[in-house]
Amino acid sequence: MNSETNSSPGQVVHFELRKDGESRCVLVLAGQLDMDSAPWLWRELKQQLGSVHATTLEINTAGLTHYDSAGLGLLYFLSKAQMTPDAQVTLSELKPELAKALRAFSMDDYQAFQAQQPKKQSIAEHVGTGVINLASDLREMVAFIGQLASGLVALLCHPRQIRMGEVLRIFESAGVNALPIISLISLLVGLIIAFESAQPLAEFGAQIYIANMIGLVMVRELGPLMTAILLAGRSGSAFAAELGTMKVNEELNALETMGLDPVRFLVLQRLLASLLLTPLLTIYSMFTGVLGGVIVMLALGFTLPTILVQLESSVHIKDIVFGASKGFVFGIIVAGIACLRGLHTKSGPSAVGQATTRSVVSGILLIVVADAVFASLLFIFNK
Amino acid sequence: MSTLPNIVVSVQNLVVGYAGQAVLEHINFEVRRGEVFAILGKTGSGKSTLLKSLIGLYPPMAGKVLIEGTNIGTAEGNERRRLLRRIGVLYQSGALFGSMNVLENVRLPLDAFTRLPEMAKDLVALAKLRLVDLKESAAKAPDELSGGMQRRAALARAIVADPAILFLDEPSAGLDPITSAALDALFKELSRDSGMTLVIVTHELPSIFAIADRVILLDAERKSIVAEGKPHDLRDHATDPLVRHFFRREAK
Repeated sequence: MNSETNSSPGQVVHFELRKDGESRCVLVLAGQLDMDSAPWLWRELKQQLGSVHATTLEINTAGLTHYDSAGLGLLYFLSKAQMTPDAQVTLSELKPELAKALRAFSMDDYQAFQAQQPKKQSIAEHVGTGVINLASDLREMVAFIGQLASGLVALLCHPRQIRMGEVLRIFESAGVNALPIISLISLLVGLIIAFESAQPLAEFGAQIYIANMIGLVMVRELGPLMTAILLAGRSGSAFAAELGTMKVNEELNALETMGLDPVRFLVLQRLLASLLLTPLLTIYSMFTGVLGGVIVMLALGFTLPTILVQLESSVHIKDIVFGASKGFVFGIIVAGIACLRGLHTKSGPSAVGQATTRSVVSGILLIVVADAVFASLLFIFNK
Repeated sequence: MSTLPNIVVSVQNLVVGYAGQAVLEHINFEVRRGEVFAILGKTGSGKSTLLKSLIGLYPPMAGKVLIEGTNIGTAEGNERRRLLRRIGVLYQSGALFGSMNVLENVRLPLDAFTRLPEMAKDLVALAKLRLVDLKESAAKAPDELSGGMQRRAALARAIVADPAILFLDEPSAGLDPITSAALDALFKELSRDSGMTLVIVTHELPSIFAIADRVILLDAERKSIVAEGKPHDLRDHATDPLVRHFFRREAK
């Protein structure tokens, strides 16, 4: 390695690493040092400089004919002894224009930048900010519920203020357009539950009770729950993104300065549409789910009258009312949470995405919590 | 180094538009190496659309755009990568990525095009940030910067890989006169010191007179170039009423 010339592929840049005495090394660079050749040079030098133990390194730049910023970056990096931490590095035969170009670089800037990098938070800080965020979240939620309630009362006193066109538009986009997906999922869930239970029930000769089970499960639990979760994912996220984008585009500020309350102007229409359509969708989902179960039972050889009698004996009208009223509550939760998250969108490029995610996550969470409350209430009152 | 062609951008019989509707038809012009070339026109005259075809974002409806002799509309694979390295674009909004700090934004083209030690890339990015007078803001997030500073950071990113041609989409839109004059000075410096070719889309008369060597003026009604030449000549000697209106700020 004592004195051989190395050339990059395409012969663009050459270097020669020479041992000049005991602890002195000379690196001669020639050719074009640019974005294409610099990475090759860096790789080669990393190998070769590692094996020489020099205390001084002289970089001769007389042969460099062309360079760009990337190449200069590497040269500056070398000249600051970043690849040879133990050596004193000097640049020799520096042409005036190269010296001038190198003056654009600054180690001080780099250190200043490093010092400005944000420090990592400690665990205590993480916990602290978490708690503060949670508290302010709760506060926001309580304030928002108050705003909603007062807005709703005001709106009921002056029903003309409801923008019916907007309510109908939301009804269509969040309700009618959701029918295909709700049909598909409810039907499949009904089918799956019926199929899964057919085998174990057959062992006891109790397959006829598939009807009882599917009726109760779909009407009381899965119908409302699946519908609400689908709505949270489909329409809740849309509400949050819509309001979030409006916030980012200053449309909400425009409303405020025109004396229009965003909650009354935007949120209440969505809430109204959602609390009206969720019970309807829920009932639709119950029937589609039961239909799925009925299809399986027909395939198992039961006749339709038998199945219907069995269903009638297990599902009562109060179960349907119970399921639909769950849907009503879930509708309020989905729309309320989504609009709250949308209105409280922060600034910055990822804010709308964050608001949407949070609306879906907390929407689904609260739906399941509310469902648990419903289940325990039913247990207590049926005793 | 091989000699580079003197014509860096050559537009031949270009037709551009949206959804089957031509906005501009039969556009022909050439940009020479090292000049500051401005594309002018009123709002809606298709200048931004034309720029997007020049940098290959919108496929042209007919005709072609050659960047240093290569058709940017049809180049693929390595050829396209090589071409993209030769151009830098400053978008109207700056288009800085909000999830990265300013330095990471500026470094991005280097990350994409070359493999160098991280620190060397940081040093290059910092040198460019120093050029646009933003070195103190390297660790900040883009949304902590003012509009003018964001534009300068985006400029640093556009030039970090030393492009031969820099395309600028309304660089002074929404900036105050002092900030935009400072940007103009920076453009002039870039063109003078590094021989970079600048293609600027704008309607700001002060910038045009301050920096442009040659301009073309587009018009939406005629769907074509209505004037081409040096800005001062067009202002002083144009006979076409449209051109005179534009350069002398006369309303019709």
